[in-house]
Amino acid sequence: MPARTIVIAILSAALALAGQAVSHAQQEVRIVVTGSSTIAPLMMDIAQRYEASHPGVQVDVQTGGSSRGLSDVRRKLADIGMVSRALGREEGDVAATRIAWDGVALIVHAQNPLERLSDDQVRAIYTGEVTRWEALGPWDGPITVVSKAEGRSTLGIFVHYLGLDIRDIRAHTIIGDNEQAVKVVAGNPRAVGYISIGAAEYHASAMTPIRAIALGSVAPTSANVANGSYPVRRELNLVTYPDPAAPVEEFLRFASGEQVHDLISEHYFSPASN
Amino acid sequence: MTRNFRPFANDFLVRAAVAAVVLVLAAIVLHVVTRGAALVTWEFLTTAPRSAGRAGGIAPVLVSTVAVTAVALAAALPLAVGAAVFLVEAVRPEATAARLTRGCLSVLAAVPSIVFGLAGNMIFCDWLGFGFSILAGGLTLALMILPIAACVAETTLRMHGEDRRAGYALGLPQRRIVWSIMLPAAAPGIFAGLGLGFGRAVAESAALIFTSGYVVRMPDSVFDSGRTLAVHILDLAMNVPGGDGNAFATATVLLASVAAVVALFTALDGKRGRDFI
Repeated sequence: MPARTIVIAILSAALALAGQAVSHAQQEVRIVVTGSSTIAPLMMDIAQRYEASHPGVQVDVQTGGSSRGLSDVRRKLADIGMVSRALGREEGDVAATRIAWDGVALIVHAQNPLERLSDDQVRAIYTGEVTRWEALGPWDGPITVVSKAEGRSTLGIFVHYLGLDIRDIRAHTIIGDNEQAVKVVAGNPRAVGYISIGAAEYHASAMTPIRAIALGSVAPTSANVANGSYPVRRELNLVTYPDPAAPVEEFLRFASGEQVHDLISEHYFSPASN
Repeated sequence: MTRNFRPFANDFLVRAAVAAVVLVLAAIVLHVVTRGAALVTWEFLTTAPRSAGRAGGIAPVLVSTVAVTAVALAAALPLAVGAAVFLVEAVRPEATAARLTRGCLSVLAAVPSIVFGLAGNMIFCDWLGFGFSILAGGLTLALMILPIAACVAETTLRMHGEDRRAGYALGLPQRRIVWSIMLPAAAPGIFAGLGLGFGRAVAESAALIFTSGYVVRMPDSVFDSGRTLAVHILDLAMNVPGGDGNAFATATVLLASVAAVVALFTALDGKRGRDFI
């Protein structure tokens, strides 16, 4: 019965390793960050850079959405929550540190010749009053309306800017993340959607067949988002309980400082200047 | 006329079904491999991700995937075999306990994976205090693959009812019948069940985002958080602008490893199964 011996040997080895790991883990400071899937890839890069310059500190980045970030901080499962919107009045129990801005722009397929849409036209498209491109300009066919799932902060900012209620939106496709919106619009010349300006700028440079259209009259560029002239933008926040532990506070200072501005730009967001 | 037509129709339908299965798989493999294979290099397999996965490789992700899957299979095996032996040996098929156990397994099989993720997060990460860890992810997956593994194990054990009755006829004690006759005879089937479970585990992302997590550091132990291949693909494709290339490369690696494991399980099933225990 050599197989039984092997199984026992493997199990003992696993237990020994686990025991060693418990004693090992106690010597290190571990900071757990959870929340917005928009911020998570950026935070991963910031965490990697922080760990490189602070031996003995581990920053674990998890994801799952802004609301999850908040609830994990409240349940003490996480030290820091990532929330990709401004905090509401009823969320005053936590403190927010703003690290970046993210603008929201409309996107259409590159073949679509329309240069701009007025707010009223966008409202008409998204409430289902206008269903064909002929009504809006030199483009034809039925409009495919792409919107985001409820709970996504991009959706909240979009409907807030247009003065609509989420229930007014008549969409053909409901999607979750920016990249999904890009994939739908790039594959359908008659689709319209809205995404983060940073993601739109990246895809324009990567020759993806989509084009960004401003909400309002200011050009949708990350520079205009950073200086505040582009009106449709959201804050990317890190939230903690007030007076966090010293290592957490030090990491917050690092993540909101100049030393990560290149990473923020690399992820197509605009650094928040305090 | 109809009598002559029927065998032809059956034959044609069977062939069409086989062709459809092969075509679908071929389409997926082609779609992924043509975009990803060129990016899979030795460096890609042996370095850590950089720039949120757009650059660098997947070494820690591979290690985490192996660890999570190993924990899942190791935890599911005794539970599945235990449940199957209970159903075959300890109770009559129509007894309340048997119906209850079978009912629970059926319900468990139908639970959406995101619910497993949230439940796993609550039970293993929060209540048991494992935090976001490979252990929490593996145990959550073990619960997910338990129904299919237990069901296949039970079916295989019942197939060997004759061996079982022969053992009782010889007056062997029940413990000896189970360990020395039933389990060795059913081992190939138990492995096949685990193989099916492995397929589900390694493709899982929703249940793992909330349990084993999102961290791409090389794990030191099963108490560290670790991102699996499926979670990495999901994040690159859905959250990281410019992550598509490495998403396809990672998917190529995932497909290749699944193919390798399926081949391994097939080999175990065919030849070595009887040697286990």
